[in-house]
Amino acid sequence: METDPDAFLTALRLGDSFLPVGGYTASYGLEQYLNEDRIDDGDDLRTLLDAYLRRVVGPCETVALANAYEARQNGDLGRLLAVDERLHAVTMPREFRESSTKAGAKLCELLLADEREEGEPVDDPADADCDGFATAVADAVDRGATPGHYPVVFGVVAGDRGLSRLEACLTHAYSFVTGLLGAAQRLGRFGHTEIQTVLAELQSVIEAVCERHVDDGIAAMTSFAPMAEIMGMRHERAGRRLFMS
Amino acid sequence: MGYRDVAKVGLGGPVGSGKTALVKRLVPELVAEGYEVGVIANDIMTQEDADVFRESFADLLPADLVEGVETGACPHTGIREDPSMNLAAIDEFTERHPELDVVLVESGGDNLAATFNPELADYFLFVISVAEGEDIPRKRGPGVTQADLLVVNKTDLAPHVDADLEVIEADAGDVRGEDPFVFTNCKDGSGVEEVLAHVEREVLFA
Repeated sequence: METDPDAFLTALRLGDSFLPVGGYTASYGLEQYLNEDRIDDGDDLRTLLDAYLRRVVGPCETVALANAYEARQNGDLGRLLAVDERLHAVTMPREFRESSTKAGAKLCELLLADEREEGEPVDDPADADCDGFATAVADAVDRGATPGHYPVVFGVVAGDRGLSRLEACLTHAYSFVTGLLGAAQRLGRFGHTEIQTVLAELQSVIEAVCERHVDDGIAAMTSFAPMAEIMGMRHERAGRRLFMS
Repeated sequence: MGYRDVAKVGLGGPVGSGKTALVKRLVPELVAEGYEVGVIANDIMTQEDADVFRESFADLLPADLVEGVETGACPHTGIREDPSMNLAAIDEFTERHPELDVVLVESGGDNLAATFNPELADYFLFVISVAEGEDIPRKRGPGVTQADLLVVNKTDLAPHVDADLEVIEADAGDVRGEDPFVFTNCKDGSGVEEVLAHVEREVLFA
């Protein structure tokens, strides 16, 4: 397969913590696991992130991203809004939803806004044609007509910039894992080589869950991680907190 | 309305230098001058801190104009490389209070290299304390040299920590050239009026 340099560099940009969308403020419940001494070492961390990938990132966020990508490819804004709505509904903890929608809004501002400025505002998102898709999405997010979850906006941006659907899913899942590993390192006492070992061990899981869920339809989007959700909800009232979620 | 439509003043500086004390002094003065003020504090560690912060402005500001923003143990990132969550909080302020004049953004305590992203702060105060050592200005950290206003706080402690205010003044003048610096004691409020005058002249009247 021939590499598209622009798409490849865009994937690196989207997967980099340098992307200013506030990813470093989200721990998706990990801070609470550490607050409650539920993670002692790298093995615990790997086990937890493995579960996140198989039960949340894969069946929920990857499905949302892949379907948002497809909606963008087909210029089907109704489908995109349905993806966003369902992702909002199946993301239980308030802070998880807030971290995702705030990052989504910032990604919109950063990477869809330039196209939006060139286009005319769209009053009704359902009227948008394929060419005005990014404009319509940015407008809908800005007006609060749709939550604008991060994986959904990510799918649109990735499609615009020439990534394949699987590349987009892999990039997103990888950045989710590195984001949480970075959070763990800042909150706990994990060595840098230990963290890289965990990342290396999770690489095959990232590949497996993305390949497993990249073709799933919207109706398959679901999340089952009750303990992570409980940690996320307890975090709202945590005695000590450095992260938004 | 959004973050681009309101004046933003950043307050950075090391842990314990008196950033919060300065915010507590500035807010009543700004409110008395007739400004609508919002306050964002980064890295409030505990709910107790958050409650204390809101209580201190309870009679001055609407509760929804006082916000804590967590920066994931990266205080410098939150004000420099990626201020997106602070900007999102300011956007929420301006949506709820379109009449807002100014937002004070207090960074989490950081090192001498911390500076504010110019898209987050139109004006940037760097607060240091004499108790951190009289050689702080001489070290020429980016916070000390690049801030719009350097505030040297806790002057009352100078004799107790062997810090010579004349040395600090001479060094601050050397490293900052024409850029201003102010000595304050936020405990009794001395110097705060001068800080306020700089903020009004450079940000609110600009």
